[in-house]
Amino acid sequence: MTDTLDDRLDAIFDAVLDYDDDAAERLVRAELARGTDLQLILNDALIAAMDEVGDQFGQGTLFVPEMLMAARAMKAGLEVLRPRLTETDTAPAGTIVIGTVHRDLHDIGKNLVGMMLEGAGFTVIDLGVDVPPEAFVAAAHAHRPDVLGMSALLTTTMPNMRKTVALLREDGWNGRIMVGGAPVTREFADEIGADGFAADAPGAVALARRMTRAG
Amino acid sequence: MSGDESPPRARRSRRERLAAKTDGAPPPQMPGFDVEMPRADIGPGAAAARPQFAYLDEAGLQRLVERSFELIAQRGVDVNYPTAAASLARAGCRVDPDERRVRIPRELAEEALAAVPRRTTLYSKSGRFDLEIPRRDNTFHMRTGTGAHGFIEPGGRHRKLVLDDVATIAAVGDGLPEVGFIAHPFVNDVPEQTADLHGFAALLAGSEKHNLIQPYEAANVGFLMRLAAAAAGGEARLRQRPIASCIACSFTPLEFKRMDVEAIIEAGRYGLPIHACSLPTAGGTAPVTMPGTVLMAGAEILSMVVLTHVLAPGTPVIATPLIFALDMRTGRSLQASVEALRGACMAVQLCKRGFGLMTHSYGAGADTADACGQSQAERALIGCMVGLSGADILGGVGQLECATVFSPVQAVIDNELGAMQRAWLHTDAIDDESLAWELMLEIEQGGNFLANRHTLAHCREVFAPGAFLRLGRDAYEAAGRRTVLDNAKAILDSLLAREPPPGLPDEETVREMAGIVEAAERAILG
Repeated sequence: MTDTLDDRLDAIFDAVLDYDDDAAERLVRAELARGTDLQLILNDALIAAMDEVGDQFGQGTLFVPEMLMAARAMKAGLEVLRPRLTETDTAPAGTIVIGTVHRDLHDIGKNLVGMMLEGAGFTVIDLGVDVPPEAFVAAAHAHRPDVLGMSALLTTTMPNMRKTVALLREDGWNGRIMVGGAPVTREFADEIGADGFAADAPGAVALARRMTRAG
Repeated sequence: MSGDESPPRARRSRRERLAAKTDGAPPPQMPGFDVEMPRADIGPGAAAARPQFAYLDEAGLQRLVERSFELIAQRGVDVNYPTAAASLARAGCRVDPDERRVRIPRELAEEALAAVPRRTTLYSKSGRFDLEIPRRDNTFHMRTGTGAHGFIEPGGRHRKLVLDDVATIAAVGDGLPEVGFIAHPFVNDVPEQTADLHGFAALLAGSEKHNLIQPYEAANVGFLMRLAAAAAGGEARLRQRPIASCIACSFTPLEFKRMDVEAIIEAGRYGLPIHACSLPTAGGTAPVTMPGTVLMAGAEILSMVVLTHVLAPGTPVIATPLIFALDMRTGRSLQASVEALRGACMAVQLCKRGFGLMTHSYGAGADTADACGQSQAERALIGCMVGLSGADILGGVGQLECATVFSPVQAVIDNELGAMQRAWLHTDAIDDESLAWELMLEIEQGGNFLANRHTLAHCREVFAPGAFLRLGRDAYEAAGRRTVLDNAKAILDSLLAREPPPGLPDEETVREMAGIVEAAERAILG
């Protein structure tokens, strides 16, 4: 039986870690009906679950498909919460624009990062794949994100990451830029003037948190 | 999506997580730093038929089988043990009393071959590590190298192997899950004539797993059996659960020394499985052409099957061809040359499929002096090819420099390689589930297979490395350029720091074994 608030939040947490999106949605809906504090549901159940997912992935005990499935379950719960969060003007952890750089059509990693960022309470604006530098600049103006993230899977598209960062800086955008993708290294990120690099999706969440805290 | 497919895994509860007050910033992903053991049992296909690699076509295989019978019938083998030769004569062999040459008629050889048990169990002292041969999952067991007289310390220093090193070998062998049983090395700091007794006694005292006896002198064989009996809890108990098996070797070409015949007789008396070992060297003790060398191994092993049938009937025989090739430039004996490896594959095929015997050969080892890149490449090739050829036991764990040196760090890497090799002997069923047929029909343009039930259900059916690293450049640099050798050393440290396992002989048994060694020394050294 899930009688106490803690028990019920435990159940939401476990639903995410069991990849059970139906249960996550149902339990969050029930909690809203009870009038439970939105922040408690969000932070102490849904985000806590995704933080646990990130930790387990970092330790090598959780695999990529499992992380994705947990992120899906978290998102199912989050979708129930989202209208109420908007109504109550609950601020997200931050806004992040992401996209795959020009001429790169590979989006699995970028999508994973997007899901994990949403799971961590960020608002994510996904520009999709094959995003020209100009489109990143336009999105920076339009959404004024806290962080702009871009990915590249191919060594042949990495130069477009450099071009995008350069164009953003030329345009005067001084927000934070994070980069990632299989061939991308910290050294390359430093070289092209990005503010941060993450090797995997949980790393991107941790980086986004550091970047948004630093303002 | 239901959570039914989620495999069990350790995780913190929500309350534990909140109490820990972490912010979800994960540690850098550095698989391999958890110096765990690799996992080879990866899925339902593990018990399916082993994929097979055949050097010999059916005609070639049959020709080798036929020639093996013909060689021991026409040329015969030399048995330097008069009473054994007499027994063979009574069994129908034609024995030349002057030469002690024994010509074995085909009928007797076929009868002997048909009588060899097709399965056996290599028992451990505690019962926790009993090994069924052939292995139930159709892969193989591994064993440590025999007879090494050199030792490479974890720090890399090479020196003579001494008695204290046996405890290290025992601990490493006991701790590595891919190592099924352990052989004693040659120890240098005891009298040479009784080195096998000292080494075996120390191994019995220090290891829980099954042990392999390798006698060095005919006079020692009986004492070695007494040691095994002491460790097993008596002769009757040893016969019931043989905690040791014994290697008996031909003296190539086509000769059997007294010691090895004695080993067959004594092993039979105690019911110990016999590893019937032929060690031909192409270009030296056997023809330079590898099929000729393989024929030599086949004929010698077939002869040992007959010797066992006559002298120790009913005793399990495990064919053990160990093929070497002479380096024609230097005269060195090689176990990892291209030719030796071809020979090993053919010999395993001959023994396993041609004779239908349980089969044991080198599945590790290298001709280089250190656990360097060459060593890893050579032993990876050996393990893959000999494993695919059908061997039930892969020997040579930890051995370097053509089976003369033991490196515990290399043994840890061999454990990893063995686990990988067993994992890739896994055969997949070809059905709509493995083909992901429904997903294939539904996959959309630009789609992927990461986030679906099918992937979730199967994503853990993958080989999980222990010592091997899969680090990208940044993580590699951050880890101080850590390599598999560093991880192997860390695993080795953890193995050597473990408490002794529960199945070791007690103090009284160890004293009894020491008494047997002392008695042997009095008898042998005078």
